Amino acid sequence: MRILAAAVLAGMSFWGAVSAQAEKLVIAGRDGAYATALKLAVAEYKAKNPGLEIEQLELTGGGLLEKATIAMREKSGAYDVIMLDDPWAVEFMGRGWLADLDKLGGGVAEDFVKPARDVSRQPYGTGAHYAVPFVGNVEMFAYRKDLFEKHGLAKPASWTAVLDAAKTIAAKEPGVAGVVFRGKKGNPIVTGFLPILWAHGGNVVGPDGKASLDSEAALKALNLWLALKPFAPKGVETYDATEVRDALGQGTAAMSIELWPAWAGSLDDAEKSKVAGKVEIMPAPGETAGPAPMLGSWLVAIPASSANQAKARDFIDFLTSKDMQKKLALEAGSPPTRASVYQDADVTAKYRWYPAQLAALQAAQPRPRIADWSKVETILGDYLQLALIGQMEPKKALVEANEKISRAIRP
Amino acid sequence: MPQRRGLAFLLLTPAFALFALLTLYPLGRVLALSFFKTEYGFEDAVFVGLDNYAVLAADSFFRQATWNTVVFTLLATAGELGLGLMLALLVSRNFPGRFLVIPTLVAPFVLSTMVVTAIWSAWFHYDFGFLNNALRAAHLPPVAWLFDPDIALLSIVLIDVWQTAPLTFLILLAGLQSIPAEVHEAARIDGATPRQILLRITLPLLTPHMMLAALLRSIDSFKLFDKVYALTGGGPGQATETLSMYVYRQGFKFFDVGLASAAAVVMVIVAGILAGLYATKIIGGRSDVA
Amino acid sequence: MLRNTLRITAVYILTAIILLPIAWMIATSLKPAGEYVSTSVNLLPKAATLQHYRQLIADDIFGKVLNSVIVSCGATLLALAAGFPAAYALARLSLPRRLDAVFLVFVLVIKLVPPIVLAIPLYQVLRALGLLDTLAGLILVYQIYALPFAIWMLLGFVRDVPRAYEEAAVLDGASLWQMLTRVILPLMRPGLIATGVFLLILCWNEFAYALLFIQSPSKFTLPTYIATLITEDETFWGRLAAIGFLASLPIFALVGVVQRGLTRGFAGGLR
Repeated sequence: MRILAAAVLAGMSFWGAVSAQAEKLVIAGRDGAYATALKLAVAEYKAKNPGLEIEQLELTGGGLLEKATIAMREKSGAYDVIMLDDPWAVEFMGRGWLADLDKLGGGVAEDFVKPARDVSRQPYGTGAHYAVPFVGNVEMFAYRKDLFEKHGLAKPASWTAVLDAAKTIAAKEPGVAGVVFRGKKGNPIVTGFLPILWAHGGNVVGPDGKASLDSEAALKALNLWLALKPFAPKGVETYDATEVRDALGQGTAAMSIELWPAWAGSLDDAEKSKVAGKVEIMPAPGETAGPAPMLGSWLVAIPASSANQAKARDFIDFLTSKDMQKKLALEAGSPPTRASVYQDADVTAKYRWYPAQLAALQAAQPRPRIADWSKVETILGDYLQLALIGQMEPKKALVEANEKISRAIRP
Repeated sequence: MPQRRGLAFLLLTPAFALFALLTLYPLGRVLALSFFKTEYGFEDAVFVGLDNYAVLAADSFFRQATWNTVVFTLLATAGELGLGLMLALLVSRNFPGRFLVIPTLVAPFVLSTMVVTAIWSAWFHYDFGFLNNALRAAHLPPVAWLFDPDIALLSIVLIDVWQTAPLTFLILLAGLQSIPAEVHEAARIDGATPRQILLRITLPLLTPHMMLAALLRSIDSFKLFDKVYALTGGGPGQATETLSMYVYRQGFKFFDVGLASAAAVVMVIVAGILAGLYATKIIGGRSDVA
Repeated sequence: MLRNTLRITAVYILTAIILLPIAWMIATSLKPAGEYVSTSVNLLPKAATLQHYRQLIADDIFGKVLNSVIVSCGATLLALAAGFPAAYALARLSLPRRLDAVFLVFVLVIKLVPPIVLAIPLYQVLRALGLLDTLAGLILVYQIYALPFAIWMLLGFVRDVPRAYEEAAVLDGASLWQMLTRVILPLMRPGLIATGVFLLILCWNEFAYALLFIQSPSKFTLPTYIATLITEDETFWGRLAAIGFLASLPIFALVGVVQRGLTRGFAGGLR
């Protein structure tokens, strides 16, 4: 008798959970600082739309990619708004998984920095808009202004100058490494290398869509990057973001070839960092070609299978409006994607490096627009590390990587 | 009694239903997928027969991953058995504070693996890690725990031993305590030295328990993924790449789900053989204990 | 006895060494952010603070604990509920004892398959049942290894129950149901408890499947929450250490039960 009652109870509660649904938006977003920013926007939007339920998921980068892919592939309509990293856009847009934002009305304003807008369009740069740039992540460069002044070094204007500065500081400043970078296999090591590659005029994938790592320019870039290793802290081969931040923040490295907006904030926080106010942030230098900071923006889009597209569009517009971007920048440290917000006096007062960030964004280079970037990145990551630990000659690494990449890229 | 049998099968139904749904179906799917080339599922899948297995056999990364996994499993299991046995022997007889020491020794095992990994990633840091700080304070050279290709895998073995020796410790301690006191008494009366007692009586009696502990740990070590993923990503080079990481990379970075499934099938077969060997030893050895 | 003193000293030294990383963790949970990274060997915080623990409460840690409790207990109960009749049936079917070994092997092999590999088919199963992103779904998924484990452990305990009790019950006219619940179950209580505790510990720290199938922060279990403290940009050491410490306490409390259960289980000869 008791068991029967329990079963009925279980059945009822299950049914109850399944059936109660008000109007609802489901947002699949990132975790960490991104989630904090999204939460602020969601809270305000809910206040303006009473009766609307919003569920915000906080997922890791990998988790978000997996779940968004599965949901859109199975056309489950599980999500109404998704955040996506710009390399994912190629596949998502190419497979028609995202809603056309021009058709939904409104397109994407010109206030958004051009490189970020370009990646939101299919075909790249010219076609219809399928996403709106949300977080203006761009790879920058950082150096210790105080140490540079102390040793009479000018702001590095080229990667060769960076190498020279590293040598000087390593020689004259005991206990301080000249430079630090990420060496962990995969996304970390590749992300650090790309701006150097591009600055030398090299490319992973050429404009013709074919693998192009087997070039003079790429070899020069690789050799320069390898030349930095002796002036980096021991163990860079396994360094990831935390270690690089710590090295800069504890003052044991004078330059970081890679600095993301998320890392910049804590550098000036006297409680956590020993170098508050001493670090200068700039777009990465150029070499033979101009500076090419890597674009790492996060976009927001609407899956084509969503049942609430109009509401989702409204939310996206609200999220990326000028006022909301300013608020998120000031309260959550979320880098804006609108040029006008970067020029706002309140914002630049709080984040002194924002003018540099805007310059970097406007000159930003996205990763190659191919659907198989994840495979290419993994292959390149493997070979870069083999070269870094000295297990393979640079030239051989490039040739082999190039060959594997050619086979991995679908026509 | 046929009626009894019918009832018995009825009792088995709930368990079997869960098992079929959650285990047979997914495993069957993985096995089936291993014969195809596909990026995700069965739509767009191309039948390739044993091709994936051939690719695995020829892939030096797969061989390296297998080698790393086997080495890790052997070293970790041996380490855990050794440390667990030593602790169990030391603690088997009463001493002041024993009731505090036993739970303390178990502490590393109750932590979440992610926390364990985070702690050791901090400890292994070359410049700021506790271990190297201690070494430097003792005027010893710091160690390249995670980026020396020869040491990296051993460092991960160290973490695993620290975290799971408590489990073998518990099993062996229980085993020790299940040996009737009269056995040791009789041996002592016969004039056996402590060393003889240990080698000729205690250890043989403990063998089934050691086999059980070794089995449990081998299978778990074989699966090594989380620690490597968090600490080295498989590097430096291929030094810490394991079979699970290989499966993950093929499946989720290269989207070659057929190949990943084939690698997973190989893992299961090898582990099944390993487990089967152990199990027959345990069952065979049991007749001595009864 | 010198030998005894040596032995005791060795034990305490070893214990201290093994405890060191945990002591470090607890100390870190009390350190302010500025003290995380340093070159000193000093474990003690210079300016101890409870801010991380307070932050945990702000993060709704009690909700996560509740979720973990629900999932662990639910999975354990389900495994026991399905496993107990199955173990009884298998024991009384007089299948060869070698079957025990098969179960053991099976359990471990299943635990061996990387969760990633089973993720996609399991995802489809859960979606078909409408259990994605639910605690109930996790309880179901955990049966993958909880159930075989339960059956394996319970088989041994069932065999311990002398047939005489069953025969007496049959003579008294008891139905199968009555025999199972009124006779066998009470006799197996210690075994059931030991198995239950073992399963609880197994499920408490499980995170691979939890990460795959739970998305809403409100449904996070403790391990999923812990995972959010390790992001690609930064590791939140303070909170991580604090929750690492707190999350392990419940298991810690149950260790005594496990130890007694293991000893009891082995006392009748290794299963």
